[in-house]
Amino acid sequence: MKRGVRGKLIAVAADGALILYFVFALFPIAWMIILSLKPANELFSTYFSFTPTLDSYQTVLGAGSDEGVPFLRFFVNSLVVSLGAVGLSLVIGLPAAYAAARWRFRGSENLMFTLLSFRFAPELTVIIPLFVLYQQLGLFDTYLGMIWVLQLVTLPLIVWIMRSYFSDLSPELEQAALLDGYTRKQAFFKVALPLVKPGIAAVSLLAFIFAWNNFVFPLILTSSEAQTVTVGALSFLGGDRPKYNLTAAAALVSVIPPLLLALTIQRYLVRGLSFGAVKS
Amino acid sequence: MRTAPTAAISLRGIHKSYGKNIALDGLDLDVAEGEFFCLLGPSGAGKTTTLKTVAGLEEPRAGTVSLDGTDMTGVEPYDRGVAMCFESYALYPHRSAYDNLASPLRSPRYKLPAAEARERVGAVADLLGIGALLERPVGRLSNGQRQRVALGRVLVRPARAFLLDEPLSHLDAKLRQAMRAELKAIGAVRRTTTLYVTHDSVEALALGDRIGVIREGRIVQTGTREEIWHQPYDTFVARSFGRPRINLLPGTVTADGAFMSADRFFEIPLTSPAAPPVRSVAPGTAVQIGVRPRDLSLGSPALGPGAIELVGSVYITEVLGRATEVTVRLGGQHLSLVVPRADAAGLRPDTPVRLTVRPESLLLFAADDAEGRPGRRITE
Amino acid sequence: MSSSLSETGHGAASREGSGPPARVVPRWRRSLRPYLLIVPALLLTGGILYPFGLGLYYTLFDFAASKPQPDMVGLENYRRIFSESSFWDSARVTVLYAVGAAAVETVLGVGVALLLHRSTLVGRVLEKILILPLMIAPVIAAIMWKLMLQPSVGVVNHLLKPFGMGGVQWTDTPAGALLSSIAVDVWVYTPFVAILALAGLRSLPTSPFEAAAVDGAGWWFTFRKLTLPMLWPYVLVAVIFRFMDSLKVFDIIYALTEGGPGDSTVVLQIRAYLEAIRFQRYSFGISYMIVLWAVVYLVTMVLVRYLGKIQNRAAEVPK
Repeated sequence: MKRGVRGKLIAVAADGALILYFVFALFPIAWMIILSLKPANELFSTYFSFTPTLDSYQTVLGAGSDEGVPFLRFFVNSLVVSLGAVGLSLVIGLPAAYAAARWRFRGSENLMFTLLSFRFAPELTVIIPLFVLYQQLGLFDTYLGMIWVLQLVTLPLIVWIMRSYFSDLSPELEQAALLDGYTRKQAFFKVALPLVKPGIAAVSLLAFIFAWNNFVFPLILTSSEAQTVTVGALSFLGGDRPKYNLTAAAALVSVIPPLLLALTIQRYLVRGLSFGAVKS
Repeated sequence: MRTAPTAAISLRGIHKSYGKNIALDGLDLDVAEGEFFCLLGPSGAGKTTTLKTVAGLEEPRAGTVSLDGTDMTGVEPYDRGVAMCFESYALYPHRSAYDNLASPLRSPRYKLPAAEARERVGAVADLLGIGALLERPVGRLSNGQRQRVALGRVLVRPARAFLLDEPLSHLDAKLRQAMRAELKAIGAVRRTTTLYVTHDSVEALALGDRIGVIREGRIVQTGTREEIWHQPYDTFVARSFGRPRINLLPGTVTADGAFMSADRFFEIPLTSPAAPPVRSVAPGTAVQIGVRPRDLSLGSPALGPGAIELVGSVYITEVLGRATEVTVRLGGQHLSLVVPRADAAGLRPDTPVRLTVRPESLLLFAADDAEGRPGRRITE
Repeated sequence: MSSSLSETGHGAASREGSGPPARVVPRWRRSLRPYLLIVPALLLTGGILYPFGLGLYYTLFDFAASKPQPDMVGLENYRRIFSESSFWDSARVTVLYAVGAAAVETVLGVGVALLLHRSTLVGRVLEKILILPLMIAPVIAAIMWKLMLQPSVGVVNHLLKPFGMGGVQWTDTPAGALLSSIAVDVWVYTPFVAILALAGLRSLPTSPFEAAAVDGAGWWFTFRKLTLPMLWPYVLVAVIFRFMDSLKVFDIIYALTEGGPGDSTVVLQIRAYLEAIRFQRYSFGISYMIVLWAVVYLVTMVLVRYLGKIQNRAAEVPK
């Protein structure tokens, strides 16, 4: 009986500890929501009681707002360069991942290793020379320039994860298709590809999130035309008076796409986050 | 061995290795037009690699594969016109049983109009007893059902040869026996050259027009079931067929041409007029004498003149259904024989018994060498 | 099974007559096949390696906005870096940051994973939102925390007021700034460790635990002798990722402290940014990054080798 009471206490304490952690994890998000709904005049006078308003969102998203920050445009830019980067990585990375999974040869091993080293390389090692190079090539502050440099983020992820998905697939499935009378290309498109579709969807979303969340590349390689939300959100903090409500609204708007996507790929996250090192 | 130039399937000097592992080590094989050929061997002997090499799924490091006399080097699997049933089934897991069966008939090579394809798939499915399962995704089929879908995918299409990799291995015992009996009766199988891989000697004996025994990437022997049974190339082939296994007793050849057991407990004359001729063997050569358990009799029934008698004592008996396996101790050796259950009724351990065997059912092999390579048969 | 079909269907078609045409694909074309598939990726990779090589080349010069016609200076940039105290200060801050963040995240993340692994009702609900902080851009997370940590109007000090510590100068003291940065890193990345550890916990074999329970082993004993050793390969993957990523931290510090106050939170990537972009001393800034790159590369090699060893050992444990 005594044990039962003790066990119950431990269970309650464990749940309590969990809740404590999640308060720490979620409070900042909740607080941003509160800040973003506060009217400007109540910003510093109250904490939790105020009259909610959507003014901040209107200001942030309003085209050519009086704050001079074209945030909506940054949002579109983020969308374009992230989608572009993921698309390019898929087109180029899927065949490479397939080759690396099906044929172990020196070329693919070297490619895989180089891509992995990209994952761990400090970004600035490449960006500073690119900063100089892009000025010369006219790629500075362009979509193309951003999509190109974002390959550093999306390509290693897509190739590594997709190789692990293709490796999990028995090569005998494609062999069966060859004997059924299909060509190698058809075997890939009709058999292998449909079977790794969930993996492709998950890794694409994850790559999109990472591309979207990237900050260093747009910070250094864009100025206005191709600037993205991560850099844009910072601009509300500048100036003589920090605009907390606007910053909070901008921050929230810019985290909505990744958060929504992330919730849809929970199941596949483990493999993606660990670069295929851990499967669940 | 037939080496007809028009063999439907012909492999010459095939070498294949995966890294340091040698899978096929100079394999030669001929399968005649329309023949049902069983390839038997333990796991890892290179059976599956042989099939995949014929199919063009594995490229040999050396050697040539020919189909109907045409060299297939560099010919893609889909242009070889062979169908293969994989041991792993290799069914498309995202499709229904029907779509799996219809897959060949939708490919550019074997395309049939949809209505004809449906009819064909239906017929094959009924033949294999899976007609009611066609709409199911293959993930929801039992192993036995999957195996039949895999077999159906082979039968549904025209092929110059069927390559079947253990196609009955995952069926339960009863179904396996039924399918074994009916497989060869299927018209398509009867008409089509079939290379059938198995590790089950009973299956090989029951099905094969001819049988090939493979070991460590080489064909040890090919022949009809009679040839394989009565004239095994070596102790490996002899041991591969028959349960209980053939008795192999080590010994030497004496000066007057008899077999002397290793512990000098008994001697068997090898020169009797009824015994198969023995290639000249120098006295003192280490040999093994082989005798199948069903060729030994208990007591001295009328085996005719020249029958060889051996005296020993019962070591253990084990009932195998209607028959009984009796293990008899002959000095330091054990010899097993299979007798009708009634004959073994009174046997207790240590009961003295007399065994008889016809000289012509004795097989003489060289001793296995130091590396464990099986000894070759010496009797002609 | 009825053998009637046997006679129906493709009677004549079952033999292919002369067989299909034996189109021969020459060996060189077959062996080229996998290479063709990776060529685009190789080209793209080359496009990324080129600036890296260019950067390496620049470090041998004194290229800067003030010196567009650079002179070859050999290894002078590297000599200068290693002789400057500011490099060693940055290196110290970077290591402190990386070790601190990775350690706290590992302990906290594994703890959260263990709690979630109990699968209580509370746990199952909370698990669904575990990843939220991880999916927020680190720079945005830093902005959020910057608003909260503001000393006079920030909500954190407001909430701490009842406990008598309302005036903490979070990011305005050197130690406070470093700890605050680590805190943001912990906030973002603890779910990363927790998710991997949880996946590890869920894939552990159950039989050793059942055996331990039958033997009456206590919780602590089971945790130390069974859970932790078997979980270690998974946790190690997370630790490696976190440690390597923290060595090159940029976003969080850029948004939260900009390296301040003074130089107290100038980690190596921030230093390189200041040198190369702010002060436009390109060659010198890149040299900083090459040094960091070399360090990261070496540490990765060592850790990955260690991980391989651990995973092999784990694979040998009979399940």
